[in-house]
Amino acid sequence: MTDLALDIVQQLLNGFLFGSSYALIGIGFTMIFGVMDKLNLAFGVTALAGAYVGLGVFHLTRGPFVLVFVTAVVSSGLIGLVMELACFRWMPRDYPLAPLMATMGMLFFIDEVISHATHGRPMAFPAPMGTAMMNVGPWLLRGDLGFMFLAALAVMGLLWVLVYRTRLGLATRAVSQQPVAAQLCGIALRRVNASVFILTGMIGGVAGALIGSAVGNLSPLLSLPLTIKGLVTAVLGGLGSIPGAIAGGLLLGVVEYQALYFFGIGYRDMVTYLMLFAFLVFRPGGLFGQRAGR
Amino acid sequence: MDFYLSLLTLFGFRILLGLSAYVVILTGQISMAQAGFYAIGAYVAGAATSMMGWPIFPAILLGGAVGGAFGFLVGFPALRVRGLFLVVATLAFTEIIRMVFLNLTYTIRVGERTIGPAGAEGFRGITYYYQNGWSVLQIVAFTWLFVVAVLLAFWIMDRSRAGAVLRAVGEDELAAACVGINLTAAKVAAMTAGGLVAGLAGALYAHYATYVSQEDFGVLLATFAIAYPLVGGTGSVLGPIAGVLFFSLLVDGLRFLGDWRNLLFGVLIVLMMNLRPHGIIDVGLVRRAAALLRPARPSARAGD
Repeated sequence: MTDLALDIVQQLLNGFLFGSSYALIGIGFTMIFGVMDKLNLAFGVTALAGAYVGLGVFHLTRGPFVLVFVTAVVSSGLIGLVMELACFRWMPRDYPLAPLMATMGMLFFIDEVISHATHGRPMAFPAPMGTAMMNVGPWLLRGDLGFMFLAALAVMGLLWVLVYRTRLGLATRAVSQQPVAAQLCGIALRRVNASVFILTGMIGGVAGALIGSAVGNLSPLLSLPLTIKGLVTAVLGGLGSIPGAIAGGLLLGVVEYQALYFFGIGYRDMVTYLMLFAFLVFRPGGLFGQRAGR
Repeated sequence: MDFYLSLLTLFGFRILLGLSAYVVILTGQISMAQAGFYAIGAYVAGAATSMMGWPIFPAILLGGAVGGAFGFLVGFPALRVRGLFLVVATLAFTEIIRMVFLNLTYTIRVGERTIGPAGAEGFRGITYYYQNGWSVLQIVAFTWLFVVAVLLAFWIMDRSRAGAVLRAVGEDELAAACVGINLTAAKVAAMTAGGLVAGLAGALYAHYATYVSQEDFGVLLATFAIAYPLVGGTGSVLGPIAGVLFFSLLVDGLRFLGDWRNLLFGVLIVLMMNLRPHGIIDVGLVRRAAALLRPARPSARAGD
């Protein structure tokens, strides 16, 4: 095999593994959109904020990585609940632009809190795998990316059980299909919405902690790319579709790494956006969405 | 005094940008492309005066026209995607335009100086105002000439059939289509008008700033463009102005809080949206104000 082919496969592997974190962020955007029919622009920054709280606990206690991880997940879940209370609960149900703007305000706010608390400097994030590497044939498997992928897989498995095997999951699916009918059947709409915000917040916390440990540090500058990539992932997969978000995240990871390899950092995002445009024009429903955009 | 005049000029750009997003929001669409049109207007008009030696007035109009042309082009694919997909698609447009300017280098030598867009370094030397010795007052007047013209045009449009058509599409597309409104024409027209106004705003901004760079035209600018009408309200053209005042007074009025100002900024947006979800000047407020004014002017009823 030529060097070029080796490199392409190596980038394919890295992109695929890193794409699992995009998939988690995309799941968050897509699930909130599914039940509320509204966009939560502050979801990416929720994930980042959770990771920061985990990092804060790490600096205070020097505890093991598990503690950092759990703190990140729990605090992200709580921030998710705050988001629901502040930006969605009291808003008119049929006017999606008000919560859109409110979540934008929330994004500014959390961004500023992070910049304020860390003086805008990037901070090192503990990496459970260090710089471990594994040889797979002629290719290298980065330990942190492998860990990220396995953890993301575990979260997706748990989510599948939750959505398809529990009463809460049933209620969630009912609300995302038809909120009014679900309410008529005796489903407490507000409680389901709040649960989804907590749940997606926790998923975001996992994603934030995984991205922190794979990148090696956290910086307030991450909030915008996380938001945009989460949105792109959710749209690629079809807004509202969880399997779509997973496929979209993996696809985005692969395309980004290939674009980085072939065109360099200056054009990487451009390739991503052009792919997004192609999807919106030729397949507006996304990979797994309904045929027409909503 | 010069400080307040400069502030007034800045308000002018922001109001134009807010109005460009306002006309698109009337049709129920959220466009994050306004920052892209603004960037296009800035670069095109800047190149026209500084590199091609055009006079200022046609250069500004050219910036608006090219912005409008891009609005027209974005309008068509945008028809296929609705609502929140459009947010993402237009966001991608703005980012692509930004990256095009990040990678665009085309400079010429004018006398001693190198002028033109120089990639990541930005576009320096858009010095028409200074070469021609314009005073700050003249710059303010020139900027507000366009602001007032656009405000007036939108005010008249809001009171004409065109305004009713746009609002009908925004309220309920299906109902609008059922009464025979051409959705394609309405949406593309709104997008074109939005592109035109954003292009004008960018063109004026470039000449005021004398230096533009792709960094200025990112997601943040696009966010503010839609934030002005959403917070200010879409009940009337005064809405985006209220939005600009809200944000500008917050930014400058809370300065005494120092670093804490930025924290409060986000919280106040969240609070405003909870208190007035449809914006400060929403349709209800406009109707109540109109009802208050009506008995005072009985002659206005005669025309009904």
